[in-house]
Amino acid sequence: MRKYEKIVIRGAKKYFFRFSSHQRIQHAILFSCVILLALTGFPLRHADEAWAKPLYDIMGGTTVAPTIHRFAGTVLLILFVYHTIYWITLFYKNRVLPLILEDRLDPWTFVKAVFSMEMMPNLKDLRDFIHQWKYLLYFTNTQPQYDRMSWKEKFDYFAPYWGVPILGPAGALLWWRDEVTHILPGIVLNAAYIMHTDEALLAVLFLFFVHWYNVHYAPEKFPAGTVWMTGYLTEDEMIHEHYGEYLQVMKEEGYEAEIKPQH
Amino acid sequence: MLLPGLLLCGIPKDTIAAEDELNCLLCHKHRGLSRVEKDGDFRLFYINEELFADSPHSRNECKDCHSDIDRIPHDPSKGVDCTRECHMLEPSGKQKFSHKFMAEELAKSVHGRLKPDGTPKPNQEDYPGCKDCHDEPLFRPLSFYKGEEIAGVSQRGITRCKSCHKTGDFAESFYKHVTSRLHKTRSPKEMIRVCAKCHEDRELNKRHELDDTIHSYKETFHYKLIALGSETTPDCIDCHVVVGENPHLIESKETKTSSVFKKNVPTTCRASECHEKAGANLAGFQTHVTYSREKYPLQFYMLIFFKSLLAVVMYFFLTYVFLELMRRLFPDFSFNRQEWAMAKARRKIHI
Repeated sequence: MRKYEKIVIRGAKKYFFRFSSHQRIQHAILFSCVILLALTGFPLRHADEAWAKPLYDIMGGTTVAPTIHRFAGTVLLILFVYHTIYWITLFYKNRVLPLILEDRLDPWTFVKAVFSMEMMPNLKDLRDFIHQWKYLLYFTNTQPQYDRMSWKEKFDYFAPYWGVPILGPAGALLWWRDEVTHILPGIVLNAAYIMHTDEALLAVLFLFFVHWYNVHYAPEKFPAGTVWMTGYLTEDEMIHEHYGEYLQVMKEEGYEAEIKPQH
Repeated sequence: MLLPGLLLCGIPKDTIAAEDELNCLLCHKHRGLSRVEKDGDFRLFYINEELFADSPHSRNECKDCHSDIDRIPHDPSKGVDCTRECHMLEPSGKQKFSHKFMAEELAKSVHGRLKPDGTPKPNQEDYPGCKDCHDEPLFRPLSFYKGEEIAGVSQRGITRCKSCHKTGDFAESFYKHVTSRLHKTRSPKEMIRVCAKCHEDRELNKRHELDDTIHSYKETFHYKLIALGSETTPDCIDCHVVVGENPHLIESKETKTSSVFKKNVPTTCRASECHEKAGANLAGFQTHVTYSREKYPLQFYMLIFFKSLLAVVMYFFLTYVFLELMRRLFPDFSFNRQEWAMAKARRKIHI
C-alpha cells in the first residue's frame, strides 16, 4: 500500500493526511450511488409534486429510472459488503494477527482490540460530547480536543450501517415482489414499503443538511470541502475539528514550534 | 354534468348527423342561452354543434332522449333516461337499442341503489347514475399518428375503410362506433378522477363507512407511476372489475364474485402483464392503507417509529448546527466568569 505523508507542505501551507485514495474511491462510489438513488427515488416518493415529473423524465422516465435506481442500489449493496470485508481484513491484519503472533489472544484482548479501532465509539467520545454541549451552551469557552475521529464523524460513519441494512433488503423485497410472495406473507411488502420510503427520507435529509454542513457549509469550508478529493485537510480545518490529532501529528513530525492555538 | 347531458340533445351537422327535426338549434345555437335555476344553479343550454357531431350520440334525434318535449317553445325538460330504447336497430339481435343492460349491471353492482332484498339503501342521492361517471369529455375520440395524440377521429384510419365502403357516411360512423370502444380513451389519471369525484368526498365516505381509498391508493407505487406518466400500472377499475366482466359490475369486497373478495385477490393480481408470477400470498398485501391504529397497527407503529427517529435525529443535529453557528459569534463568552475574563485578557494581548 502507498505510504502517505502525514503532513504535506504546499506553498508554505500545511496539509494533513486523512483519507487514502482507496477510501476516497469507496466514498465516491457511495455518494454517486446515493445521489442517483435519491434522484430516481424521490420523484416517485412525491409523485404528485410539480417538480416530480420533470425530474423523473430527466432521469429516464418510468421505463429507465427504475433500472437506474436498481443498478445504483445493487452497486451500493456490493460496496457495503466490500467495505465491511475491507475493515474486517484491516482489523485482522493490524490488531488480531499481532495478538496471535504474540500468543496473547483471549476474549479480553480481543474486545480491547475491537474498541481500539478508529471508528469505534469509546469513553473519550462521551466526554467530548458532553464537553461540546457545555461549550455550545456557554458553560465553558474551551473546546474539546478531538482525535482522529470525532463523535460526529463516527455517527456519520455508522449512519449507512443503519440505513443500508434497512433500505437495501426492503428495496430488494420490493424489486422481487412477485417471487417473494411465494415464501413470505404479503404484508411484508407493506412493511418493506414503509421501511424503504421513510428511511430514505431520513438518509437524504441527514446527508444533505447535516453531513453537508459538516463537510461543505461550515464557515471554514464553505462553499465546499475538498478532503473527499485530495485526501488532505487544511491546517485551519484540522485545528477546528481535530485539535487533539493536530497536536500529536505536529509533535511527531517535528513542527512543535509552529503549533497554533485552538481559536 | 349538465353540459354533457345537454350536448346529447344538440343538433348535428348536415349529412353526418340526424336531422334537426324540431329545429331545436334555432334557439340552442346561441352561446348565451342559459338560466339561473330556483336552487341557484347556473344552467347552460347552448349546444356546440361540432362537439355533438363528434359524440357517440350524433345520429340520435333530440327527442329520442328528450322524450317529454313535444312542442316549441317547450316547458322545462325533465332529465334524460339513458335506459330508453332508441331508434336504432341493434345489428346483432335486430332489436331496438338501449343502454338498459348496462343500467341493470350497475344496479347489481355495489353502486346499485337497492339492496339484494329489494329495499332501498340509505343515502340514495350518493349512488351514481349513468352521467355521474360518463362525463362527455371522457368520450372524446382520440387518434394516434406517429406517436402524436390528436383529438378527433383519425381521418387516416377512415381512409382505409372508405376505399371499399364508398357510399354514404357508413364508414365514418361505423369506424367511430367501433374505435371509440376499442380505444382506451380514458387515461388512468382520468379514470382515477372519475372515482375520486365521489370517493374523495369525506362526508360521503363517512355516511357509507368507507375509508379514504383515493388517498390510500395515491400512496401506492401503482398510482405514483401513473402520476409520472406510466400507463402500465393499474387504475381503479383494473383491480375492481373481474377480468373479462362488464366494467359496470363493480362489486363490494364482501361479495363472493368480486375481484377484490379475499379469495379472488390472487387471481386479480396475477392478471396477465401484472403480477403473473406472484404467489398467492400477494393477496396479503394491503393496498388501501390508512395508517389507522385499529385497522393497520403494523403500519401505524412503523410510521410512528420512523417519524420519531427522523424527528429526533434531525432536530438534534439542526439544533447542534444552529448553536454551533451562534457560538462562533461569541467565542469568548462563558457563564464561568473566570474563563470569560481570561479569554478577554488573552484577546487583548493578541491585539
